[in-house]
Amino acid sequence: MANTLRLYLTCIRNTLEAAMCLQNFPCQEVERHNKPEVELKTSPELLLNPVLICRNEAEKCLVETSINSIRISLKVKQADELENILAKKFLRFLSMRAEAFQVLRRKPVQGYDISFLITNYHCEDMHKHKLIDFIVQFMEDIDKEISELKLSVNTRGRLVATEFLKQFI
Amino acid sequence: MAFFNGGSRALVEILTRFQSAERPMPVDHTFFEFGSVRYHVQASASVPENVYLSISTPSLSHEASPSTSLPEFTLQEARKMYRKFAEIVEPAKEGYALTLKLNFSALARPKDRARAVRQVSLLQSVVLGSQLKHLLGNLGSSGATKLVYNHRDPFFVSRTPGKISAVFPMRFRDDTDIAVAASFFQELQDAGSAYARAPRCSWSAIPPPELRGESVHHLTTNGGFVSFDIFERHVKRKRAAKTAWILLNFQAYVKYHIKCTRNYIQSRMRKRQESLAEVIQNARLRGGDDKKKLQARKKGKRRLFSLGKAKKLQKGFRAVIDGIRRLRQRIRVKALDRFRRCFVVPKLATKKHNYLRLGA
Repeated sequence: MANTLRLYLTCIRNTLEAAMCLQNFPCQEVERHNKPEVELKTSPELLLNPVLICRNEAEKCLVETSINSIRISLKVKQADELENILAKKFLRFLSMRAEAFQVLRRKPVQGYDISFLITNYHCEDMHKHKLIDFIVQFMEDIDKEISELKLSVNTRGRLVATEFLKQFI
Repeated sequence: MAFFNGGSRALVEILTRFQSAERPMPVDHTFFEFGSVRYHVQASASVPENVYLSISTPSLSHEASPSTSLPEFTLQEARKMYRKFAEIVEPAKEGYALTLKLNFSALARPKDRARAVRQVSLLQSVVLGSQLKHLLGNLGSSGATKLVYNHRDPFFVSRTPGKISAVFPMRFRDDTDIAVAASFFQELQDAGSAYARAPRCSWSAIPPPELRGESVHHLTTNGGFVSFDIFERHVKRKRAAKTAWILLNFQAYVKYHIKCTRNYIQSRMRKRQESLAEVIQNARLRGGDDKKKLQARKKGKRRLFSLGKAKKLQKGFRAVIDGIRRLRQRIRVKALDRFRRCFVVPKLATKKHNYLRLGA
């Protein structure tokens, strides 16, 4: 793993470890309702300051925390047109299968490519450190997958082009 | 990768099966290839040596006459190629451009027959190749013409002194197709330098100067223009038909590559999704529970199945034993119980236990 990526991921991991201290908190506006405050943002006293971690302009992570939920939004690197298409395609593919991930948001926050929403219920149901591991691994895997896909699309293109030209000989 | 063979596989199969049949049987097949090429194969059981093959293929050029019959130069080409075992039937069968009467009886060796069948299967490429050759001949020393092999994707052939250029305006459905195709065209352009004997390929977003004067509709693309420069060495003798066939199928080749790449991307994404989903499943406090439950359910099903069988056996066995018991049982009459009380049966003396008292 590149050094800059390791630093970026370590920073996100530390931020998440600090931010992920969630507790059950009923809605203050509607009786007998329990809603993720980070989504509704009805009571400012229940929200913490959002943290924005940037690796560069194209890669950033926004961590928004509230008393009972945390929202993590990611922007993935897209260096050229092919990477842009592949990233869009892959993240859309994952968002459409959000039920398999439980903490994945179906629609990303504006300006980001993919978002997660972790509530206190998720924290009660899952190991906190494993949840953080998942987020970090997800980020690593997305980067890796997009680079590999780009490489293999180009390799396939080269092979197919060679085969096509061979027909003339 | 796809190899767009010039021969029709369906035609080869039908003719081979017909020839290898022990008893002569009547054949009447109509089938389509590439969407617009129609074949008709007919043979009767009474005269099994004569097979009638008809073909209908759209004209390559939109400027050609709309009549269904083929031009004389194409017929001559076909006559020349199939003179050993076929003759052209005139007029052709209704609705078809060309009808051939095939007679393989002159070819004694099975090897020769198989070769003849292979040659017959190339009929479409012969027709198209001759059309293309004629069109290029008519162009004169310079000029361009539009060819329509596939209705949706016409392409252009232009002639300049010393070379012929085939220009393909590329249009794609969506952004993914464009991105994959762009990568392919880039590689095609780069790989061209390694194959000196192959035609030089160039790809540009703007139309090449050869297409100056064409209508805007034809020059509007989202995938750019791919051009192949064909020199004399590429169309020498037998190579002409092969080169023509490869170029005619270039768009289909690109689309097939895109389709395969999309499939590949999809399968990779699915695999990655599964591995990520596994990570989140393991994060659960009772991480492996779901898996275990699933396994247990599967096992349970198996057990239930075996238990069901055992229960059936048990029931049968019990029924037999109950039957035997009933036979051996004494007949009880209720009133007799009262009667029995009158006769007191002496009880057997039971042994009295002597208990030792603990403590003082």
